Amino acid sequence: MKISFSTKSLRETFGQTLVELGERYKQLIVLDADLNTSARTVLFKERYPDRFIQCGIAEANLFGIAAGLAAQGYVTFPSTFAAFAARKALDQVYVNIAYPKLDVKIAGSYCGMTATECGPSHNCAEDLAIMRALPHVKVLDPGDNYELRSMMHAMMAEPGPVYFRVAKVNAAELFGPDHNFEFGVGHLLREGRDVTLFGTGFMTAVALAAATLLDREGISAAVAHIPSLKPIDEELIVRQARATGAFVTIENHRVFGGLGGAVAEIVSREYPVQLEMLGLGDTVFEAAPLQDLLRHYELTPHALAARARALVTRKRRATAA
Amino acid sequence: MTRLTSELHQAIDAKAFAIRQLCLEFITCAGWGHIGGSFSEAELLASLYGGIMNVDPQNPSDPRRDMFVLSKAHASPALYAVLALSGFFPRERVFSYCRPDGLDGHTQRGQCPGIEYSGGSLGTGLSYATGLALALRLGDNFASRVYCLLGDGECNEGQIWEAAMSAAHYGLDNLIAIVDYNKVMAKGKLSDLMSVEPLSDKFASFGWTVLECDGHDVAEIQMIFHRAKYLEMKGRPTVVIAHTVKGRGVPEAEFNYHWHTHAPSIEQAGQFLAALNKTYGKQEKFSRPLASPKDGGLEAVIFGDLA
Repeated sequence: MKISFSTKSLRETFGQTLVELGERYKQLIVLDADLNTSARTVLFKERYPDRFIQCGIAEANLFGIAAGLAAQGYVTFPSTFAAFAARKALDQVYVNIAYPKLDVKIAGSYCGMTATECGPSHNCAEDLAIMRALPHVKVLDPGDNYELRSMMHAMMAEPGPVYFRVAKVNAAELFGPDHNFEFGVGHLLREGRDVTLFGTGFMTAVALAAATLLDREGISAAVAHIPSLKPIDEELIVRQARATGAFVTIENHRVFGGLGGAVAEIVSREYPVQLEMLGLGDTVFEAAPLQDLLRHYELTPHALAARARALVTRKRRATAA
Repeated sequence: MTRLTSELHQAIDAKAFAIRQLCLEFITCAGWGHIGGSFSEAELLASLYGGIMNVDPQNPSDPRRDMFVLSKAHASPALYAVLALSGFFPRERVFSYCRPDGLDGHTQRGQCPGIEYSGGSLGTGLSYATGLALALRLGDNFASRVYCLLGDGECNEGQIWEAAMSAAHYGLDNLIAIVDYNKVMAKGKLSDLMSVEPLSDKFASFGWTVLECDGHDVAEIQMIFHRAKYLEMKGRPTVVIAHTVKGRGVPEAEFNYHWHTHAPSIEQAGQFLAALNKTYGKQEKFSRPLASPKDGGLEAVIFGDLA
């Protein structure tokens, strides 16, 4: 599979899709906390100034206001960096939004390490774990622009709280314009016998590249993309466990409670397999450009291929013994 | 004005210029950083580290020192610059800004000498400073003070007012907050996005002594800080509302939110230095050739490995 990259950032697609949805859904309101040109909600602000609410640099306030509006029948999109949604305003998200199942769609911008030079206060490699742990919240990490757009359309048709990631990155194109996102549905992007590489968000592209590297040395790696972490595609995961017996997950997140954790929760119960997780460990967050961070934390095709190779070697030895 | 005072003021003005120039150099080399807020606080930091605060670069952990909390931690470049220029660490180190294992975009406690506070999440610094000030009192340290520099947009955060209430409740006269009131936040003017006015009245009503000054006039800053230190204490915290100009010194960047988070290109950096020289009547040149990095992002990593 040839990998090609979009020239458009996921955050730009987020802003453009908000404008598109705003036309169709008059009850849609966007809220900002002084980040609109970064998060690209500025596009909505320019088109629908009356349905754009500036809350100032006050994230607790942002989510409280979004909840109050939602309780009155509006569908609200409070937008801030993932760090401030998941860490700073967690109590408001939990008590005021998640628990009463309000129709609030939370966009976590600059998720994972895509706040790059900002360092630990603005990067957030914990949001998937935090949001997955909240009741009633659906948790999503789109792989490309087509998927993000489809996802935002799908969440308008699905009442209740959603947390979705919007990376500041030009993602590889996994799908095409006809891609249809569904909650709880994953995608097997590449068949393989020896190991399954699982990715979420834009990191699935790293898994595809690693599969190409492994193929060159005679290892057949399947690649599965999991855009919906909660609900999650249990059937796909169990099927791949039976088919390949070895998993490596990779994510723009810590190895605690994100994609790796979600997959482990299922296979440990349904069909235990050898499982390796790639992501940030129990480590500090460096402030640097994305390219340097991916290399620094060994989230590259080479690093993923090395982990998969070791796993397959171990599996082959065990089978031979 | 005595000759001695005048010499001190000239030295502080010179330091403020050096802060701006050094920030311009290493922000350009990092390809990322906050110029606007670093330039607006330059005279304030040059004054604090030019004799107002009791700090010793040779003994940065002295328990009798004054402590500084940069709550608006995105404006870390000016703090790194003033610390380097004051001898807390070698000047060269600022060029590690925003590189792996280098200085963070926002301050991290202990990352280098003189950094007391891990910041970046706005609104959290004044509570932390309140804790430091309470600890001084609990430890019977009546010599040290805590200085906390706040952003004006940051005063949107509720936690600032929770801290303001606490500091007044505990009568922390060893705490001096400063607001870098440059009137512009990340994406526009405070008056358009979320006004903090009437700011003086807010702090006063919370039980603080409020002083105001021109945050670029070194003589005025010196006078106000001396008042804050020696005259206005008596059981109340003090806030200095410093009226400043975002991006001060480079006309193109002044009051311009575009330069809140933005690194100049090499060419723009040259224009900015020329503008600084013109504003302050200097003829400085860059201390080194500047080079900007290029982030190839995910694409560079993937195609690099596949090649």
